[in-house]
Formats: sequence, C-alpha cells, structure tokens
Amino acid sequence: MSLTTQIRSGLQAQGLPTPTLSWIQSAMPRHNPPPPLPALIATVKTRLLIADLTNPAILELPVPAFPPHLSNPEVKEIKLTQDIPVQVLDIDNLTKSKWDQIEELEAIARGEQTRGREIVRLPTGNEEDDGASEGASTASTQSISSGRPGVQARGASASNAASAASKTSTHRLVLQDCKGQKVYALELKRMEKIGVSTLNIGEKIMLKRGATIARGTVLLEPATCVILGGKVEAWQKAWVEGRLVRLKETVGSGNQN
Amino acid sequence: MKVLCVAEKPSIAKAVAGHLSGGQATTRPTPEKYIKNYIFDYDFGHPWGRCEVTMTSVLGHLTSAVFSADYKNWDYPPPDRLFDAPVNVIVSEDKTKIAENIEKQARYVNALCIWTDCDREGEHIGYEICQAARKGNRTLDIKRARFSNIERAHILNASRTLINLDQKQVNAVASRIELDLRIGYAFTRFLTTNLRTLGGPMAQLMLSYGSCQFPTLGFVVDRYFRVRNFKPEAFWSIKVMHKREGIDVNFSWARNRLFDRPSVIILYERCLAAKIAKVIKVQEKPTKKWKPLPLTTVELQKMATRFLRMTGQQAMETAEGLYNKGFISYPRTETDRFDKGMNLRALVQKQTQSQAWGDFAQNLADGGFQQPRQGRNDDKAHPPIHPITYAAPTALNPEEKKVYELVARRFLACCSEDAKGVATDVDIKYGEESFHAHGVVVLERNYLDVYPYDKWTGTVQLPKFMVGEQFQPTEALMTEGKTAPPNYLTEADLIALMDANGIGTDATMAEHIQRIQERDYVRTVPRSGGSGDEEAADAPAARGGRGGRGSRGSRGRGGRGGRGGGGAAGNGPGRVMEFIPTQLGVALIEGFDRMNFETSLGKPFLRKEMELKMKAICEGQTTKEIVLNESIQQYRHVYMQSQQKLSVLKAFLSQDSTGSRNDYRDFLSEDGGYRESTA
Repeated sequence: MSLTTQIRSGLQAQGLPTPTLSWIQSAMPRHNPPPPLPALIATVKTRLLIADLTNPAILELPVPAFPPHLSNPEVKEIKLTQDIPVQVLDIDNLTKSKWDQIEELEAIARGEQTRGREIVRLPTGNEEDDGASEGASTASTQSISSGRPGVQARGASASNAASAASKTSTHRLVLQDCKGQKVYALELKRMEKIGVSTLNIGEKIMLKRGATIARGTVLLEPATCVILGGKVEAWQKAWVEGRLVRLKETVGSGNQN
Repeated sequence: MKVLCVAEKPSIAKAVAGHLSGGQATTRPTPEKYIKNYIFDYDFGHPWGRCEVTMTSVLGHLTSAVFSADYKNWDYPPPDRLFDAPVNVIVSEDKTKIAENIEKQARYVNALCIWTDCDREGEHIGYEICQAARKGNRTLDIKRARFSNIERAHILNASRTLINLDQKQVNAVASRIELDLRIGYAFTRFLTTNLRTLGGPMAQLMLSYGSCQFPTLGFVVDRYFRVRNFKPEAFWSIKVMHKREGIDVNFSWARNRLFDRPSVIILYERCLAAKIAKVIKVQEKPTKKWKPLPLTTVELQKMATRFLRMTGQQAMETAEGLYNKGFISYPRTETDRFDKGMNLRALVQKQTQSQAWGDFAQNLADGGFQQPRQGRNDDKAHPPIHPITYAAPTALNPEEKKVYELVARRFLACCSEDAKGVATDVDIKYGEESFHAHGVVVLERNYLDVYPYDKWTGTVQLPKFMVGEQFQPTEALMTEGKTAPPNYLTEADLIALMDANGIGTDATMAEHIQRIQERDYVRTVPRSGGSGDEEAADAPAARGGRGGRGSRGSRGRGGRGGRGGGGAAGNGPGRVMEFIPTQLGVALIEGFDRMNFETSLGKPFLRKEMELKMKAICEGQTTKEIVLNESIQQYRHVYMQSQQKLSVLKAFLSQDSTGSRNDYRDFLSEDGGYRESTA
C-alpha cells in the first residue's frame, strides 16, 4: 500500500471526508526521509480542515452532497441517507437579541470589557437569559476586590466573556456542502462546541446518515452531528470584522416592519 | 487632671456631656452661637481618673485646603500649574471662632479627648481639632473615643476604652482633599475659561468639574443613550398549557424565546406532531425567601428612594437627625453583619412598645429571635444601621417617622426568620422540546409580616403529576413578543451603579447626585407610563464591586425564575423619578469620550482607582506621598490630552448649545446628531 493510500485510510478511520490521492500527495510535507505515518496523517488532516471543501480537487468523487431541493420549506421532514461533510459559513445565537450583541461588541470596542476596566452595569430586565453578562460581572467583582490600586489586569480576552453561550442557548448555522449548496442548521439539542466564539467559520462538520431535515433546516444533535474542527482563516477574519455591521443592518431593516 | 472633649457637632457634644455628667453639666455659651461648652466632673478610669471636663464641639471640618493668593486669577497662571502649586491648609473663615474656642480651652487642660464620628472624615476632623488645640497647648495628652451611637452605656464604655487617632485614615482624607482641590480647580477653570469663549449661552456658564461628579453624570448619559438608541426586536416562544383538577398549569419553554420566527415554527410544528407530552421530572421541595441582610448606608438610600419617596440626600439627612437624637445608630456604615457580642435581643425588646410592630417584636422577644444573617462587609468602624431605642411617633417629624420605621422594620426582619414555602417543579418533554412548570405555596410568612418592602406571593399550587406519565396538553401556542428598551436610571439604580463602580463613598454618593442636578447636568422627571416594566427595572440590582457583595443579586430566591419573586415589586403606583441628562450634560460627557477613550473623565476608572488608593493608605499598603504623586500625574496627563484635543470638545458644545440647552424636552424630541439617532 502506498504512503498516500495509507494516509487516506488513516483519515477515513478518523471519520474525515475522503480526499483524492493527488491532493494528499500535494498536501504532504516534503521531508526526506518522510516523518512517521501518524505525524503525516496529522499534518494532512490539519490541511484538510483548513481547506475550502468546495474546491473540486480535494475530495474524491462521488462527493457526498445534499440532495437537490433540500432546503425546500414545503417538505416537512426527511432524513439524510448518507454522511455528508459540510463547512460552517455563519453562526447566530438566536437566544440573544441582535441589539444585546451589538451593545456587547460596542463595549468591547470602547475597551470597557477588559478585565479591571469594566463598567459594572445594571441588569435592565430585558435579558432573561443572561448568562454571559452575569459571568462578566462576576469577573469584574473579582478583579475589583483583588486588584490593588494602580494595578489593572489587562489583556484578558474580552470576546470570550462577551459571547459565551449559556446552557440553554440555541444557535443557527449556515452550512455548506462540497458542491457549494447552503442550508440552515438549527441546534436542536445543545452542543457545547457550538458558540459564537467557540465555533469557527470554515470549521468542518460531518452530518451523519439519519440526520433530520425539517422544513429545509438541518436539526443538529450530537447523535448525527460530528464536529471535526478546523477553520478557514480568511473567512473567520472577515466574519469577525464584519459582524457588528451585519448585526446593525439586520436590526435596522427589522425595525421597519 | 483637666480634660477637653471635642465632638464633631453640637448635638453629639450635648448628648455625650449629658451621659458623662449624669445630666449635671453646666452650660456656657461660646462666641459661636451654635456651640456651647459643657462643664462637669467625670471619672475616666485608668489612666486619667477623675477629671474636670470641658466638652465642646466643632461644626464639621475646621480647616480647608486653598491655593495661595497668586493663583486667584483664573487666566494666569494657567490652570495646569494648579497640579503642583503650593497648597495651604487654613482655618476656614467661618470657623475661626470655633478654632479659637478650642485653642483657648486647651490652655487650661492636660488632655484632649476627640469625640468625632468614627469614620475617615471624622478621623481627619479629629486631627484638625488636635492642631487647633496644640496652638494653645503643646503638651496635651491626646486620645480618641470610639463609638457608633450615643446610647448611654455605649458612650460610658467608649469613655473608658480610649484609643489613639489613626494617622493613616487622616492621611487618606488629606490626600483626598488635596486631590479634589487640585483636580477640581484645574479642570473647572480649564473648562469654564475655554468654553466661555464659545459665547452664546456658554458665555455665562460655570462648568464645574469633580472627579466623582463626572463619572456619575457619565452613568446617566450612558443609560440615556442605551434607551434612546434601543431598537426593539421581535421574538417568538412556545407556551404549553394543561388543565388538570380545574387548574390551568402553564409550562414555559426551556429555550425561553428565540429571535427567529422560522426556527420557532419548525420546533413548534414538531411539538404538535408529537401530540403527547411526557413528564420527565417532578420535584417538590421546601423553599425559602431569605430575610434581608443588616442595613448599610447604600441599602438605606436605595430603599428610601424606592419606598419612601425621598432622595438619597434627604434620607441621609433624616437618618443623621435620628442619630443625633439618639434613636438610631450611626447611619454611615458599610457593615452588613452584626458583631456576635452585641445584645440584639435587648434592642428587639425596646421595640415592643410600638403600636405598629410591637407585637412582632414581642414575639421575637418571647423566643422567636434568630441571629441575623452575616453579610460579607465590615468597615470595622460601625455596626449596621439599627434602632438604639424606641422612638414614639409623636417625637418624630413625618420624614423621620418614615426613615425610623424603615430602620426598625429592617432590624426586626433581620432578627426574625426566613419566609418558608414549598416549591413544585414539573419538567415535561413535548416532542424534542423541554418545558417547565413551577409553583410556590407560601407556608410561613415570618419576617415578611414586619417587612412590607419585600413581596413573596405564592402561585397556585400545581396539581399532581407523576414521572413517566403521558398526557396530551390542552393547549400549545406559539407566542410573539417584542424587546423593550431599558428604563432611564432611578436614583436607586444610580446609587447602585456608583457603589458597584467605586464612585464616592457611601457617605458622599447622595451629595454627588445632588451636585450634578444643581449644575444642571441632569434633571429628574417622573417616569412616564409603562408600569409593566417597572418591576423588571427595579429587580435586583447588580452589586458588582466591593469584594463580593455581588452574590446577593444572583442568588436563587426560592428556586427558579428568581426575578419574578424579587423584592422590588412593591413599588406602588406613585411617581418614580428618573434621571435624564441635559443637553449640556450630554455634550460634556460625549466631548470627553471623543477626546480620549482610554481615560475619559466621563468613565469611572480614574476615580475608582483613587478610591482604592485611599483604602490602601488606610490599610498601610501605600502612603499619602506616593498616592498624591501617582494620581496627580495621571490627571495631569489627561489634562494635557484634553488641552490638545480641546477643539473636539468645543465642537461638541457649540453644536449643542445652539438650542435651548435647559429644555430637556427639546432635547428629547431633537435627539441630536451624536451616535446614530433612532429617529
């Protein structure tokens, strides 16, 4: 068995989509002598997870993809008949109002959520599910009580605190298959890894056979949704940078109704 | 042996003299008409023994810090010179007669005993008294009495366990005074002289700056914009109702609500398709509503603004009066735990005379007494605010009656028992979705009987459900709602924010709030309509700062859904006053925010640091010199930045002062051109 074939079986054994042998060849590190097999597999896996799956050169034909018209809302329910690899294009926490998300992002932009410099705000009574901001104020309590005068702990990642999802959060994703078909996916059962700061754009997910599609939306639950990891750096960057503008646009247009 | 005793105010001098002399003091007038000297004999015990005593008082601070005459002119030298100009401490003009009285009396005595209030300011006033007395007599033996109320036994005990003046606290206050002077003068002159050049309504204006005032104003402006900029959004939910034993049992959705209609439709449809709901969990357990913590100053002010229709300032003045008359303990305290050694039962016993709450007190005295909960804050100077003796309603004016009642009821509630009930929780699965029903039955009201400020109403008792049982819900609805903007700040909110962010001390917060109104930076207006939001807005305020008081708000009250059962519901239909910034106030904060984000004077960070430094001086972790140096450098840096970017501030103010700046209504309707307007 050639080295590339061995790598391919290694990837398959980990539940990853199957790349072509020529792509594996191109993704292999050119060391001589080659590193041991597990290291090779790990390297190629990483490259696969940061790649854009819609690139036709990557996956072996026939590429498993959504059946046509999957996103038709007229169809009450169908089940996937095969495993389908997808990548994340967008994520939204449906539990949080857009405006709450905007206020958080703006506070971060003003440098107010860095530890030790947070303005402790009062709950306004509109955020019943308010896990994130509660967490943030706890953090500030600690930093105030332990902080000696003049000492300001800085640099702690603020975005984590601001967008952390609580146990009851519900997210909606936009997923894309290898043919570029896009579909909404709704978190039917809470999955820890799905969160605005924890799931990357471009991250790969394997939707398993038997996964439910209701009214054109994939219902995500641990039994039929395996998160493989990875991200597409450029997409992630663009998504983060454009988030505030997108949120504002959504709220602005929603307002006119 | 001869001793001079000096209190912080005449009422305390009179009360202490009365106790020490057994009512036998001779009263002499002094050149200052409010102040009397009381002459009597008293045995201090070891080491002073039996003494001839003269007891007198001051009227608060004797001295003030001032710049020398070379700095009187606002235009020259430039204001930033005030950061290092020499500061002189002099006896204030209106206090010279008082200082002279002390100096003169000191000549005839061997020892000086300070009876100022036991807090930081009191410590400094004590030091000022020492300085005045030393002018008359360099060889004085100086002691200080430590007391927190003017009840007889407490005062006698204090007189026999004298301590020394705490120089660290004196230094902390001295630093605060000097910083306030330098920073306040420099920025006030800078703002006023520069902005007057804009002409128009600005030409006459006095733009005062205070390092507490501005952050306080900042909170009001911040909330103002959060309200004005708010965009409502629609959300959807699923509500399940099941009728059993004649009771409509409402189940709420575990997801609560989602901001996307198609997603909710999908989930709703799957519930309906499942038809049958299954009971997953049934739990019946005892639940409690905890009695309140012992009363602190901040808590007193918040409650007074919320329940007594008073401002924090009025509440503090009234409480001060009650303290001076000996009815309640010292009302400026951060402590929310009673010392184990205090005889609280005796204090409860005194309340049995009351028509209104005497029966309740009697019940406690007859065995119902329970030790109060222990909060986490102890300022080591004063116990929580509590009644010292019973005050008959006829002895009090209407305001005093309200505040006294609050203090007495709070105290009795603390010494009573938590309210008890039974909570029932039922979890069901309907299709893939989870729903939850919660019921509470109040069994024993306990402390609630004496404490009308808390509400705890039980819901209907839930009928029986069995785990594993299946049923077809009577009704399942998809509901729609809209988010509402937050409310403008109430005074209780503002106090809570200042407390959480370390702006001012609990003793001075009310003054800062008063100040920004006097300066016309903010106005108060009655809250209009929308009483539905009221409960939510007054719900447990964040107690972020100060080492962990924060846990209070988030503690589950009797199980789930805590907020609904919260203590703030009893607001009644009266008018709640809200704080709204004037155009001027908005322009100042916005202007400073635009000049420099890092250290905007409209944000609480610089001041918070300063308060922490004061504390550190008291604890011996730093010194006055270090703190003065650091803080002046920081503020000078901000000053320089402000000077460089003065044009930004000017642009803001000239743009906004074109309108009638005093009319907030104009301002509300215009909703000017800063940030994006809601239109």
